[in-house]
Amino acid sequence: MIANVKCKPWKMEKKIEVLREAKKFVSENEGALGKGKGKRWFAFKMMMSKKWAKFLRDFENFKAACVPWENKIKAIESQFGSSVASYFLFLRWMYGVNMVLFILTFSLIMLPEYLWGLPYGSLPRKTVPRAEEASAANFGVLYDFNGLAQYSVLFYGYYDNKRTIGWLNFRLPLSYFLVGIMCIGYSFVVVLKAMTKNIGDDGGGDDNTFNFSWKVFCSWDYLIGNPETADNKFNSITMNFKEAITEERAAQVEENVHLIRFLRFLANFFVFLTLGASGYLIFWAVKRSQEFAQQDPDTLGWWEKNEMNMVMSLLGMFCPTLFDLFAELEDYHPLIALKWLLGRIFALLLGNLYVFILALMDEINNKIEEEKHVKANITLWEANMIKAYNASLSGNTTGPPFFVHPADVPRGPCWETMVGQEFVRLTVSDVLTTYVTILIGDFLRACFVRFCNYCWCWDLEYGYPSYTEFDISGNVLALIFNQGMIWMGSFFAPSLPGINILRLHTSMYFQCWAVMCCNVPEARVFKASRSNNFYLGMLLLILFLSTMPVLYMIVSLPPSFDCGPFSGKNRMFEVIGETLENDFPSWMAKILRQLSNPGLVIAVVLVMALTIYYLNATAKGQKAANLDLKKKMKMQALENKMRNKKMAAARAECRSLQPVDSNFLSLPEDQKSSFPSSSKVMTHVKFQRTSFGEQLLCSTLDGIPDVFINEGCLSPPRARKISMLL
Amino acid sequence: MSPAIALAFLPLVVTLLVRYRHYFRLLVRTVLLRSLRDCLSGLRIEERAFSYVLTHALPGDPGHILTTLDHWSSHCEYLSHMGPVKGQILMRLVEEKAPACVLELGTYCGYSTLLIARVLPPGSRLLTVERDPRTAAVAEKLIRLAGFDERTVELIVGSSEEVIPRLRAQHQLSRADLVLLAHRPRYYLRDLQLLEAHALLPAGATVLADHVLFPGAPRFLQYAKSCGRYRCRLHHTGLLDFPAIKDGIAQLTYAGPG
Repeated sequence: MIANVKCKPWKMEKKIEVLREAKKFVSENEGALGKGKGKRWFAFKMMMSKKWAKFLRDFENFKAACVPWENKIKAIESQFGSSVASYFLFLRWMYGVNMVLFILTFSLIMLPEYLWGLPYGSLPRKTVPRAEEASAANFGVLYDFNGLAQYSVLFYGYYDNKRTIGWLNFRLPLSYFLVGIMCIGYSFVVVLKAMTKNIGDDGGGDDNTFNFSWKVFCSWDYLIGNPETADNKFNSITMNFKEAITEERAAQVEENVHLIRFLRFLANFFVFLTLGASGYLIFWAVKRSQEFAQQDPDTLGWWEKNEMNMVMSLLGMFCPTLFDLFAELEDYHPLIALKWLLGRIFALLLGNLYVFILALMDEINNKIEEEKHVKANITLWEANMIKAYNASLSGNTTGPPFFVHPADVPRGPCWETMVGQEFVRLTVSDVLTTYVTILIGDFLRACFVRFCNYCWCWDLEYGYPSYTEFDISGNVLALIFNQGMIWMGSFFAPSLPGINILRLHTSMYFQCWAVMCCNVPEARVFKASRSNNFYLGMLLLILFLSTMPVLYMIVSLPPSFDCGPFSGKNRMFEVIGETLENDFPSWMAKILRQLSNPGLVIAVVLVMALTIYYLNATAKGQKAANLDLKKKMKMQALENKMRNKKMAAARAECRSLQPVDSNFLSLPEDQKSSFPSSSKVMTHVKFQRTSFGEQLLCSTLDGIPDVFINEGCLSPPRARKISMLL
Repeated sequence: MSPAIALAFLPLVVTLLVRYRHYFRLLVRTVLLRSLRDCLSGLRIEERAFSYVLTHALPGDPGHILTTLDHWSSHCEYLSHMGPVKGQILMRLVEEKAPACVLELGTYCGYSTLLIARVLPPGSRLLTVERDPRTAAVAEKLIRLAGFDERTVELIVGSSEEVIPRLRAQHQLSRADLVLLAHRPRYYLRDLQLLEAHALLPAGATVLADHVLFPGAPRFLQYAKSCGRYRCRLHHTGLLDFPAIKDGIAQLTYAGPG
C-alpha cells in the first residue's frame, strides 16, 4: 500500500491521509509484521490473548450448556410457539429465585440449628407433648405437618432463643431475622432487575399506524419446528388478517353505544357478584374449619380436614371459565379481553388470599389471648412441682436432681408455628390439586378423545371436549400466587422454600410431559413478548402485597413466649438492638442510634421523594423526545416516499419526452424560435440530462424553476407552470 | 362431601350450561321431543312431514314443496334436513358442474334429492340410495309428488355398502360425476373407498360430504386431505336453526386414480 500509493489516481489530500494511516498501522503492529524489537514479546502476547478468547468462548458454551432444561423448552417452543415456552422460561426463572432463597434459609437457619443446636427431646419446645406422642409418627399426622414434623427444624417453634449456639458462637436469632429480611429484599431486587431488563427489550412496539405492514412482515414465528404448529400459526395469521379487515370495516360503521355500554356494565356486575360470592364462600369455609378444629380430630373425615384448601383451589380453577363466559357479553378486542380476564382472575385470587389471611389473623389473636391464660397456668404448675419436689426431698438430704421430662411440661400456644403450618398445608394441597387437575382434566380427557372418538356419535376432537389447550395465563397466575404464599410463609416455616423447590422441579418435568403429550397448540396465538413485563409487574405487586402482612406481624405482634428464636422478647426486631449492644463496639451503637433519629429519617425520606420526582420527570422527558424522534423519522420516510414518486414520474415523463425532442431538433432554426418557450425548456431539459446525468436532473426537479430563474431564461410564474407540468 | 365443596362446583356447572346451551337445545328438540311425538303419534318424523306436505304444498312444484318442508321444520318440529343455506351451496355446485349422473347416499326425507333434481341438466339422472325401507317409501312418495319420473330420479333401497358394488351391473351407472354423502358420517370413508375401488368416480368428479364438522367425520377428512388424490374445500355454515353450532360441507374434487 505504502509502495503503491503514489500510483493511485486520488487527490493529494486523500493520498496523504492514507499514507499517514498506513504508517501508523505499521508502527503499531511492528511485531506482527515481523519487524521491530518487540517481535517475540508481541507474538507471545498475541498467542495468550487468542488462548484467552478461546477459553472465554468455551466457558460461555459451558455456561449455556449448564442452563437446565434448555432442550425441553426448545422442543416445546418448536411445537407450541413462543408464548407457551415463555411460561416455562418464567418457571425456570422462578426456580432460580427459589433456589437462592432455599440456599439462604437452609444454610443460615436450618443447618446451624441441626448441627449446633440442642437436639430433639432436650427442651420442652423441641419435644412432642406426652399427649400426642402415641400418634406422632402416623402418616396422617405427618401429612398434616403435626407430630414429629411440627417439632423439627421445618418450623419456627423448634428454634431456641439462646443468643449464640455452638462453638462458633453462631447467632441464631439474629441470623433468623436477617435471613427473613434478606429474602424479601433479594426478591424485590431480582424482580425489579428483570423488569428493567425487559423494558429495554420492548423497543418500538406496535403503534396504531402501519397496522397491516406490521402484520404482514412481523407475524411469523421463526422458532416453530413442527408442521402442525406451522399450519396452526398460518391459520391464525390468516384469521388475524380477516379480523383486522373486519375491524377496519366495523370501525366505520355506527354501532349501538348504549347497548354495548349496558352489556359491559352487566358483565362487570356479574363479575363483582361472582367475586363477592367466592369471597363469602371461603369465609364460610374458614369459619367451619375453625369449628372443626375445636372438635376431636379423630371424628373428622378427610373432606372436613381439607375443606378450606379444596374450596380455595376449586374456586381458583372454576371461576376463570365463568369470567370468560361473562366476557362474551362485552365484545372487546381479544387482546383487551385477555387483559380484563387476567385482571379479574388476579382480583379473584387476591381476594381469596386476603380472606384466608384475615381468617388467620383471627386465629392468631385467639392464640395470643390464650397465651395469657397458659402463662398463668404454667406458673401454678411450676409452683406445684417445686412443692412436690420439696416434699419428696424432706426425707433424704441427697436426692435425685429436679427433673421433669420435657414431654410433660405444659406448652404455650405457638401462633407462628400455626401460621407456618397453614401455609405449608396450603402449598401442598395446591400442588396436589394442580397435578390431579392435569391428570384428570388433560390426560384422561386426551385419552378419552383419542380412543373413544371412533365409537362416539360426534367428532370429539373438533367439538366438545377436544384436546385441551395450554392455558398460559391461568398457569402463570397460579405460579405467581403460589410464590406469593411462599414469600408470606417462609418467615414462619423456613422449610417452605425447600418445599417449593421440590414442587417447581417436579412441576417442570410433569408439565413439560403433559404439554407435549396431551395439549394442542392454541388456535389463536398471541405474541408473548409484551406480556412478559405484565406478568413480572403482577409478580412485583404480589411480592409487595404478601410481604406487607409479614412485616406487619413482625413489627406489631408479640412473639410467643414459649417457642421460637424470639421468645421472651417484646417484639421480634429487638434482636437487632440486642446484637448492637452486645456484639458491636459501643461507638458504633451510638452512631447507629443517632442515625435512627426521626429528624434524620424524615430528611432522608424527603430527599428520596425528590429524587423519585426528578427521575420520573427525566424519564417522561426522554419518552417525549423519543416520540418526537419517531415522528421526525416518519416525516422523513414520507418525504422520501414522495420524492421517489416524483422521481419515477419524472423518469416516465423524460422517457416519453424523447421522441418529441428528436423531432424538434430536426426542425430548421427559425421554426424552433417560433415555438413557445416551454419547448425550449424541454431541450434545455434534454441537455441537462445528457450533461449532468439523470440523478442531477431528478434531484433538481424541485428546483428547476430556481435553476432557470438563476440562469435568467424563465420568469418565476412560468417556471412554476413548467414544474407543475413536469 | 361437605356443602362448601359442592357449592364450589357451581361455577363449573353454570359455565357448562351457558356455553353449551345450543347443544342442549338441539338435544331437546331432536332427541327428546322427537321420541315423545313418535310415541304419541305412532308415525315417524318423515311420515309426519310428508302428511304436512300433502296438505299444504302444491304437487308438481318442487320449489314449493321445499319451502313447505322448511316452514314445517322451523315452526312445528325439527326435521334435521339440509336447510336452505346448505341447499343454496348444493344447487350452485350442481348448476356449475352440470353432471350427467348424480349419486346421492342417504335420501332421508328427499329434501336434497328435490334440490338436486330441480337444477339437474336435461337428460341427466339422479340415483339416490336409502337404507331404511320405511323412510324410502316416504321419500319415494315425495319425489313422485314433486313430479319427477323414474328416468330422472331413481330411488334404491338398501345399505350403501351393498348397493355400490351393484350399481354398474344392475343400475347401469358407469360413472358418477357428482356424489353427495348425506347418510351417516361414520360411513363416509368406507363408501368413498368403495366408490374408488369400483372405478365409479371419473377424473374431475365432485364429492360433497355433509355434516363433516358436526357430528363430524374426522377420518374421512384426514383421508381426503392426505391421500393426494383429492383437492378439498370446506364450506363453513351453521346447523339449520342453530347458527351458533358450526357445521360444514366438504367439497372434494377427484383428480384421478393415478
